[in-house]
Amino acid sequence: MTTENTTATAEQPESPEPPESKPSFARLFGRYLIEANSVMVTVYSLLLAFAIGAVLLIVSDEQVRSSYGYFFARPSDALGGSWNLIYSSYMDLFQGAILNFNTLERFQAGNADFGDLLRPLSETLTNATPLIFTGLAVGLAFRAGLFNIGAQGQMIFGMLGALVIGFSLNVPAIVHIPLAILAGAVAGGLFGAVPGVLKATTGAHEVISSIMLNNIAALFLVWALSTKFIHSETRSELVSKPVRDSAELPALLGWLNPSLRVNLAIVVGVAVAVGVWWLLTKSTFGYRIRAVGFNGPASATAGMSVGRTYATTMGAAGALAGLAGAALALGTGSGGVNTATVLEYGFDGITVALLGRANPAGIVVSALLFGALKAGALSAQPDVPVDISTLLQATIVLFIAAPALVKAILRLRTPRGGLVTLEAKGW
Amino acid sequence: MQLELRGLTKKFGSFTADDDIDLTVEPGQIHAILGENGAGKSTLMNMLYGILRPTAGQILVDGEPVEFSGPGDAIAAGIGMVHQHFKLVGPFSVADNVQLGREHTRGAGVLSIRDAREAVREVSERYGLALDPDAIVENLPVGVQQRVEIVKALSGPKTELLILDEPTAVLTPAEITELLEIMRSLADSGTSILFISHKLKEVQSVADTVTVIRRGKVVAELPPTASTAEMASAMVGRAISLEVDKTAAEPGEPRLEIEGLTVVDDQGFKIVDGLDLTVHSGEIVGLAGVEGNGQTELARAVLGLMKPASGRVRLDGRDATHEPPAERIEQGLGYIPEDRARDGVITEFTVAENIILNQYRDRPYSKRGVVDAAAVRKRAVDSIAEFDIRTQSPTELVASLSGGNQQKVIIAREFSRPRRVLVAAQPTRGVDVGATEFIHSRLITERDTGTGVLLISSELDEIYALADRIAVIYNGKIVGEVDPDTPREVIGRLMVGADADAATEADHAENDGGDR
Amino acid sequence: MSKETKLAVKQYRLAVAGVAATGVFALSACGAAPDEDDSDSDGGNNADASFLACMITDSGGVDDKSFNESSWQGMLDAAEENSDIEVEYKESSADTDYDPNLRSAVDDGCDFIVGVGGLMTENVNTVAGENPDIPFATVDGFSEVENVYSIQFDTAQSAFLAGYVAAAQTESGTVATWGGMKIPPVTIFMDGFAEGIAYHNEAKGTDVELLGWDEEAQDGTFLNDFEDTAGGKSTSETFISQGADIIFPVAGPAGIGALTAASEADGVNAIWVDTDGYESTEFGDVLITSAEKGLAAAVTDSVLAAYDGDVTGSYVGTLANDGVGIAPYHDFEDAVSDETKTEVEDLKQAIIDGEVTVESPASPAAE
Repeated sequence: MTTENTTATAEQPESPEPPESKPSFARLFGRYLIEANSVMVTVYSLLLAFAIGAVLLIVSDEQVRSSYGYFFARPSDALGGSWNLIYSSYMDLFQGAILNFNTLERFQAGNADFGDLLRPLSETLTNATPLIFTGLAVGLAFRAGLFNIGAQGQMIFGMLGALVIGFSLNVPAIVHIPLAILAGAVAGGLFGAVPGVLKATTGAHEVISSIMLNNIAALFLVWALSTKFIHSETRSELVSKPVRDSAELPALLGWLNPSLRVNLAIVVGVAVAVGVWWLLTKSTFGYRIRAVGFNGPASATAGMSVGRTYATTMGAAGALAGLAGAALALGTGSGGVNTATVLEYGFDGITVALLGRANPAGIVVSALLFGALKAGALSAQPDVPVDISTLLQATIVLFIAAPALVKAILRLRTPRGGLVTLEAKGW
Repeated sequence: MQLELRGLTKKFGSFTADDDIDLTVEPGQIHAILGENGAGKSTLMNMLYGILRPTAGQILVDGEPVEFSGPGDAIAAGIGMVHQHFKLVGPFSVADNVQLGREHTRGAGVLSIRDAREAVREVSERYGLALDPDAIVENLPVGVQQRVEIVKALSGPKTELLILDEPTAVLTPAEITELLEIMRSLADSGTSILFISHKLKEVQSVADTVTVIRRGKVVAELPPTASTAEMASAMVGRAISLEVDKTAAEPGEPRLEIEGLTVVDDQGFKIVDGLDLTVHSGEIVGLAGVEGNGQTELARAVLGLMKPASGRVRLDGRDATHEPPAERIEQGLGYIPEDRARDGVITEFTVAENIILNQYRDRPYSKRGVVDAAAVRKRAVDSIAEFDIRTQSPTELVASLSGGNQQKVIIAREFSRPRRVLVAAQPTRGVDVGATEFIHSRLITERDTGTGVLLISSELDEIYALADRIAVIYNGKIVGEVDPDTPREVIGRLMVGADADAATEADHAENDGGDR
Repeated sequence: MSKETKLAVKQYRLAVAGVAATGVFALSACGAAPDEDDSDSDGGNNADASFLACMITDSGGVDDKSFNESSWQGMLDAAEENSDIEVEYKESSADTDYDPNLRSAVDDGCDFIVGVGGLMTENVNTVAGENPDIPFATVDGFSEVENVYSIQFDTAQSAFLAGYVAAAQTESGTVATWGGMKIPPVTIFMDGFAEGIAYHNEAKGTDVELLGWDEEAQDGTFLNDFEDTAGGKSTSETFISQGADIIFPVAGPAGIGALTAASEADGVNAIWVDTDGYESTEFGDVLITSAEKGLAAAVTDSVLAAYDGDVTGSYVGTLANDGVGIAPYHDFEDAVSDETKTEVEDLKQAIIDGEVTVESPASPAAE
């Protein structure tokens, strides 16, 4: 039998997403973030952030600000003063993060050793280390379409896991260090899997549950530090026992100068970043993570278990954040950790992942940048307000995230509310 | 109104979406625009409606050049648009929807419901479009919702030209007939209409003149008397066979047996309601029905994405009701989802990655959890050749492929290994003529190799072209199983749940008691 | 037509905005320029000084209205006194910042480095060990390292007097204290406060109860934070609901929460620590008195001594050397009876004379 077919061309809804298959906000945001931003956007964001930082430096400096009061009488004061302030401030940041010229002079005069010269770099790397791990924890989850706000809590559990193994076992370093690191990863991973499992089984949004779990972890840390098992035997304040020497991460450059704090964790961090890259691009698990992250319904249609992917990805992300905790417990905090040891590395990991566009190499680079900002700002005090590093971080991320955020919000509303302005997508 | 486009051009970077388009719509004329996906129709309409600014060229209204900086300007100039996807607020009444954006007020921002009602009544009487101003839009049938859109478009200050973008895509056959009548009477009363459609028969029956666009250029101006083959060939740029050659089916053993299947939605409504259907090897069963009568849920339940509340799904004689989708796929169930962008492809993945989407864990594509990029690439290269996927390379992102080629990627994925059962939902939706031709012939081939094919389509023409047996779904139930030579009107009546008995009676010579 | 109008309006608006902005700028920027060489005036900071004294803060910032701020005041006073001394500070946001801050102070060429807070003592010891030629000081901590000067305060003595006043002033018979963190510089206040109350109970036969600190068990209520004023407020409100009518928060800036709670509740007052809260906070109307610790003076003295090259050993502030003390009663001058005032004066003398001893496990190690 033959029939004339007149369904020749069916014109498809021109936008890639018909309204009934509205993708989740996180997916859209993630996609715009990963794809829509070119490298140039990142570069411009950095430049803009430093420009805004410069304006704020001027505004916050009383002397330069007052010189604007007589701008027309003697503009050179205001302009020259502003330039000097900006130049010296950013130079100070550079000196604190990369190379201190003062030390260089002393070194050339023979008053400082080579190790002193390396200290700014060592500080940059030390500050960057936890950020690499937490950045990867957020970035990996991002690839599965999950917004892991819970890195802070996962890191806390990782820190406790590594700490407990670190002070309770008495084995040689060659066994002790790997075991303690592993304990951190496992503790963080188990805690991280919780929001993933909740999402898979009940549909609870991971953002909500991981925020709540952060609070639980922070309070758990206070309680844990006060227990007899963990609390320091020699100090009365809320601080843990120190880990044994055999669990302490060796300082990489300690032989050069004992003040160089950078330790083995940075090496582990870079190796883990390579591992995450490999996982995402070469393994079937990574293939599944990306598939689910880009398009959950299509992945489910192809037979993948989306729920299980959520749970395992969050577990893996938690393990990465747990490594940040291990790096703290066995590294800079090896003398005993307290509630301040974790700072806000978990939350900073979100900004690191955003700047690194959820890409392991990008995350390492942005962690180094933020580590340098922190080291630079700490050392540039008091000439430069210490908050400048936080401020620059926030501004950078604002510029990078805002376009994606705006796009995601507008795109989301298009099918429903009828913002005709965005109909122009197809042709 | 007379609308004239002169040399209208739109460029996006180096890409030219519309190239030097000339077009004249005379007052009271129905002017159809035909073109494939990506031919430039939407860009053209967006320029006309003020959403996009032309790179070059002019729009003239009654001989006067105009410039639109937004839809507001277009509306002020007398142009109204009915979008393919309705821009209606579901929980609002008809009157509220019609006045949306230009609310009737009694000063100080107080809404005047009476004025709004009056306005709706006035317009619907003038054009003979019956509407209850107080009805809540989301409770109305799709055809009536569309009427709300038309009334809304006509309620502009002086609407004289109406753009209808794919207006029949969501309608039942009866609603389509009604719409075409409305269009005719609107034109007779002096309103000009730009009619965008891909259904050649409708274009033939209602248009006064037909403009065919291909790759951003006007390639043909045809009279409505031109044959559908002529129109199709103009669109694609080559001779097109609209015939599907196939031999009679040779049904074998049952491959897909659906028994008393009930699927319930979140609110507890039975979307699929005790449905029975059997597909045998070597036959194509066409499932006809107006969209939203349970087809989607039926297909998802067969794949295992939705858990049935009761009933069974047997694949190849095996009870698969509780198997996860991966298991069913493993055992030879092929699935072409109806919503390609949502369920079919991952547009951010490459062609190669999409082709192995449901086999990524199988050898040779991966070993011990590591993807073998070379094997994946080789498979992709083979599939691209075999299924004529128009892509620059296996590593091109699927997002940059046309709809037809995206569909071919899915076909390549699903047809690549021995199938026992194939569920093809809207397999040619959004696909151009050439690809449709290809997909239809592959479906027939699949049937001829012994696969049991369940074809779900809202295009009656497609069902007629391919099916060996037609089942009609209405309200989650099969209301009739008929032969493919059953007249359209009979199936049309079954599709809207009207006089099922009469239909089966008319048909009972070949098919006794198709509906249960 | 209408579009053109719109455009014109837009441009007009822009122009107005531009003119207005320029005008404001012009007005404000028309001031006279100061003389070229009038560039000093920067408080105690002497740019051309030959001696650089640096201070590393504990968490809370240099403007924490508490020990960081007092110490910095001491630094500034030293610079004021000796124009050849320049001072600067570096803020720490966590204890992991101590090491880099101390070392960057060394790199800055500081001639004297003061670490504020007992938590930093170990870090000061480490960095001082690496730089034996630079004198260091640790505030609220005791160090045995040669080039580290320990500045400590036997604040149990001043807190004792405060506790005695609290016991005399309470009407409900219940007073409360809570700490920022369970560290010796905090618990020493709480010990002294508890002993002052106990002394009053014994001497006067009263039965005033203290909530929030058990001296014998050395345990009590801590916020584990020096900056969480909200937490401080809710902790204080809990004590108020348990009947306390005088709160003694030993928690730096977080203690402000207690003052807020006291000012919001009826008939509840507070006693401040470290500085005279009547002057350093905005809650003078609820502050009976303050258990002062002469941080600023001690720091000033250490900087001046370091300039002279003889900063060695350690310093313990006591009632005897006015290193600690009890602040004036200010608004409560009339509320506190003359009898109590006299008794407090007598007690102070008794402690100086060694007739009454205040003992806290946290008391500074003897010289």
